[in-house]
Amino acid sequence: MKKSYTKGAKISNSKGSRKTILNFLKGLLKKGSLDAVLIPMRVPAGDSYAWVLIKDKKLLDDANPIAPIMPVQGANALSSCTKKGKGNLKIAALMRPCEIRAAIELSKLNQVNLESVTLISYDCPGALPMSDYLQDPGEGEKVFDSLLKKRDRDVESVKPVCGICDNFSILPASDLHFGLSADSRDNILLIPNSKKGTGLLNKMDIKPSEDISSWAKNIEELKKVQEKKRKERFEYVKDMVEGFDSLVKTFSACVGCHNCESVCPVCYCRQCYFESETAKPDIESILLKTKNRGSISLPADRIMFHVGRMVHMSLSCVSCGLCTDACPVSIPVAELFSYVGDRTQQTFEYRSGEEKGEPIPMKTYRKEETKGINELVKGAEG
Amino acid sequence: MSKEFMPKIISFLCKWCTYSGADLAGTNRMKYPPSILPLRVMCSSRVNPVFLIKSFLHGADGVLIGGCHPGDCHYQSGNYYTRRRFAILTTIFDSLGLESERLKLSWISAAEGTKFVRVSTEFNEKIKSMGENPAKKKIFL
Repeated sequence: MKKSYTKGAKISNSKGSRKTILNFLKGLLKKGSLDAVLIPMRVPAGDSYAWVLIKDKKLLDDANPIAPIMPVQGANALSSCTKKGKGNLKIAALMRPCEIRAAIELSKLNQVNLESVTLISYDCPGALPMSDYLQDPGEGEKVFDSLLKKRDRDVESVKPVCGICDNFSILPASDLHFGLSADSRDNILLIPNSKKGTGLLNKMDIKPSEDISSWAKNIEELKKVQEKKRKERFEYVKDMVEGFDSLVKTFSACVGCHNCESVCPVCYCRQCYFESETAKPDIESILLKTKNRGSISLPADRIMFHVGRMVHMSLSCVSCGLCTDACPVSIPVAELFSYVGDRTQQTFEYRSGEEKGEPIPMKTYRKEETKGINELVKGAEG
Repeated sequence: MSKEFMPKIISFLCKWCTYSGADLAGTNRMKYPPSILPLRVMCSSRVNPVFLIKSFLHGADGVLIGGCHPGDCHYQSGNYYTRRRFAILTTIFDSLGLESERLKLSWISAAEGTKFVRVSTEFNEKIKSMGENPAKKKIFL
């Protein structure tokens, strides 16, 4: 069993949580405990954020450790630099919990190598919807700053999936965690959660001696509230998709752009069926369908794409909400996928991105399956 | 006189077990419903869940996967994966309120010609009672 860490270090938050985090990272770069930091930075145009890998500690001043939006999933950024091996740089990646979970899922698919990477998480207040932020980036920054200062979770202005997120804090996979919702806003809790994390704190001469139970209790309470919200929201989502007609209605606006697929961090296959030539219908099959149904909408097979994608990736879905951000016709893709993902993950008693070594259920099997699975295939024996 | 509803049941049958079982039924002159449209695959784990979704959305009234009994797979472990894939697909169909009863997985060995006849007849009757696949008439798919 994984050793649980129950102590943390309190660091002063007098300069604001962002500055505090940056100063800590700078210290690590200075001591040479880290070679580079993967962190979001505002793009020169000022209306979005990008991931940058920073080696020069002076450049860290321009970074924003807690970006208000999530244009690119951190796991994708991490994958783009570690998929071909670990290299000899010690990297720290400061990411949202859902990004870390996606990175764990990708590491199971050999698309991220975590060996030389330290994963640093923080209590995430959620992210703003891209469309809202793009309308007025200045206003977006202000809204998000006020969210950061709140102790409770404000679900009004964040993305719908962030509003129902129940996994926004420390993860079994995080090496180091910034507890932002500590007792008072004057302090930030720095919680080591693995040998890597403890090592980094030692290098900085920070002793994790404070008790973190009051912070943990607060998080537990928030989680309970969020779980309830999630459940309620899913009742609504269920009505939205349940039954053939509702499903067709929900996805009927789909333009078949496959944006949701290309931004999804965990939707990874070496060769995607839906991008292959096989998936593109020939004229004969289209004409046959037109004959049988009287008419057919084109491009064909859009619902097949979504349901097929649910089969392929819902077990790994981390509810990051990038798909909704990327959808040009505002289909609530993320909520639908989270809803289905929760159900499939329950079937396999699996939680995406929780345990580093645990294989994705589709890549493994048991000779004697669990009751839940047996129940679903019970007709097979008869 | 209205014609009786004759379903179309796409059947993915594993070469080593169920397809041979169906063959056995044939050589023994046993009768199974003509609504079964067999497709031979090398292993039931060859069946990508997308095949089932495609069959279903394109209007197949039922989809049957036949494989070797657990432990008997010609490739050691193929059918164990099939079982998991089938479980995830039915979970998704249930979550979306699609009729997961139209999908069936069955373990039929090469010696079980009678079982193949029984399973296909029963499945055919069930699909008949369920009626046509609603996907057949949908335009916005």
